[in-house]
Amino acid sequence: MSFSGPTNYRREAAKAIRDKPEVRDSVTAATRTFDAHRVHAWGQIDADRWRDWARDVKTHVLTHLDEYLEQAERQLTSNGARVHWAESADDALTILGEIVREHGVKRVVKAKSMLSEELGVNRHLEGLGVHVRETDLGEYIIQLLDEPPSHIVGPAIHRSVDDCRKLFHERLGTPLDADPDELAAAARDALRAEFLAADLGISGANFLAADSGTIALIENEGNIRLSTSLPRVHVAFVGIEKIVPRLEDVSAFLQLTSRAATGQPIGNFVSLIQGPRRSDEVDGPEEVHVVLVDNGRTSLLADEAAWEALRCVRCGACLNICPVYRQTGGHPYGWTYSGPIGAIIAPGMLGLKEALPLPHASSLCGACVDVCPVRIPIPELLVHWREKAVEQGLTPRVETVGLKAYAKLARRPGLFSAAGAVLRRVPLGLGGRALPVLGGWMQERSAPKSSEKSFLQMWKEGIE
Amino acid sequence: MSARDRILGRVREALREKDSVEHPGNFEGWRPKTPRSPVDGLVHLLEAAGGEVVHQPNLKAATSWLVTFCGDFDSSAVGESVPEALRPPVPVATPDIAPLGVSVARGAVAETGSLIMDARDGRRAQLLVPTHVVFLRVEHVYATLREALLDMSDDLPSAIGLHSGPSKSADIGQILVKGVHGPGRLVAVLIGGDE
Repeated sequence: MSFSGPTNYRREAAKAIRDKPEVRDSVTAATRTFDAHRVHAWGQIDADRWRDWARDVKTHVLTHLDEYLEQAERQLTSNGARVHWAESADDALTILGEIVREHGVKRVVKAKSMLSEELGVNRHLEGLGVHVRETDLGEYIIQLLDEPPSHIVGPAIHRSVDDCRKLFHERLGTPLDADPDELAAAARDALRAEFLAADLGISGANFLAADSGTIALIENEGNIRLSTSLPRVHVAFVGIEKIVPRLEDVSAFLQLTSRAATGQPIGNFVSLIQGPRRSDEVDGPEEVHVVLVDNGRTSLLADEAAWEALRCVRCGACLNICPVYRQTGGHPYGWTYSGPIGAIIAPGMLGLKEALPLPHASSLCGACVDVCPVRIPIPELLVHWREKAVEQGLTPRVETVGLKAYAKLARRPGLFSAAGAVLRRVPLGLGGRALPVLGGWMQERSAPKSSEKSFLQMWKEGIE
Repeated sequence: MSARDRILGRVREALREKDSVEHPGNFEGWRPKTPRSPVDGLVHLLEAAGGEVVHQPNLKAATSWLVTFCGDFDSSAVGESVPEALRPPVPVATPDIAPLGVSVARGAVAETGSLIMDARDGRRAQLLVPTHVVFLRVEHVYATLREALLDMSDDLPSAIGLHSGPSKSADIGQILVKGVHGPGRLVAVLIGGDE
């Protein structure tokens, strides 16, 4: 099942909180654990200097992106990889379809890749009659459940052990009281057969080093190494913002990203892939295809403020700390990238009108900017998109009219105090939800109880 | 005009009004001084990540260790660069069915606790086996990952794997399980110090 788009965020978030309170428990527990690990891991390094450095490298890359893309293409080509350029999701899927046809591909194994989720790779392959299997354990769980991922790093964190027991009982025949080790062993067996039978492996990329043409991938299970080593063809989808100038720079990003995401010094498995199998090697893919994907990234780059969000390394730290994300997990955001980072890249990549509710899915508490390893000013960019929405007339008309009326009222003290006296007598708890503007606020909140006296009256009488 | 040219054109257009930012220079791995030697640092992190570490003073000792260790296994997959003295004394099996795999690491990284696995050694023997034994000369331990990558940059195979612990996952209810896809048991055998 794929996402329906961000436009229904408010309704979907309210529904999730009302109908699936257990999701909040699972997501909150998982994200608190991720974040505690990050805090511990950052305590072992001079995290401020690492983050300043990483911010500056990423900003440098973005301001020279055309040169580095050309360098990466040259280097990958000389390594024997084939480079493709995709302007849109459709382009990327067409390129994949051609590779599938050329090689008569019947079976695909996939390593976890948010870009492949963004592009809709699985549905496209199924449409071509290709059997496609997610191999990351979390991705495998949600593929069996026909759900999209709810977190960048932990796609199945909204699901409990009990959910997995029931699912694996039905699909893999494990006992209903199986422990996580038994469940993982059953998945390992099922997926091992998939690895050995697959013709094609699909991955994303955490980083692409321009000077060596190296695709760097971080993981803990080993499924990425297997997906990129066993099948005879490997296709890597790489967002154009994933470039890092030098392989030696990648050494730092691997560590900073791992520490930010899971609190490890580095993921237990890292793949550094230069190209296809060489003549002095006994195994590895015969062909490596690298698809450089735009799909809205150049639109985001063109924005005068939000382009900084392209520094993102997809560690999930801002999701983990976000009090709003923790209530619902990622599904209500209606898009591949949820949480604070999703809310600032969606308007640039999808269009502001399409993404509009998301910049409002935040209390602007600012916790996200404190944990971002590349120091993206997330709260500022949330406000940036809110302001743009007002400029472009995308906010509800009643809100604009209401605020203008308030501005007029506020300039006339007599009228202001009279209106206040009336409002204090409105039974907000009963009919408040029907009111314009305020009503929207009260859909998911209890109405405040009005004070007996206005602030001005209390001030005159002397406030304790 | 190709997709490539259109994308590069849009990138240049987007950057027209933006100031160029310089590369900040080399990553110096800023952190409080650690009292550990590179080898001790490597051992500490590998063990913390769930790996096992054995230290043998010389090749002869490593060979006898391997003979004892292989008592629990009836066959083994063997990496291409494993020298005669470190070939397990059990029948060779293909990695997809072998209960054990033996490889030689090209090097290791102290600051991340990683073993550097070269594709020329054979990837399947590094990945498909449930138990992975990796031999490493202590003089091949780099202090930092940056040093390691700089040193290898003029001799890169199709792929390098950094193995820093056994395969693990917490995707089922955030409970840690080992051996999900790659080896669930990683045994690093450090050789050297007394030849």
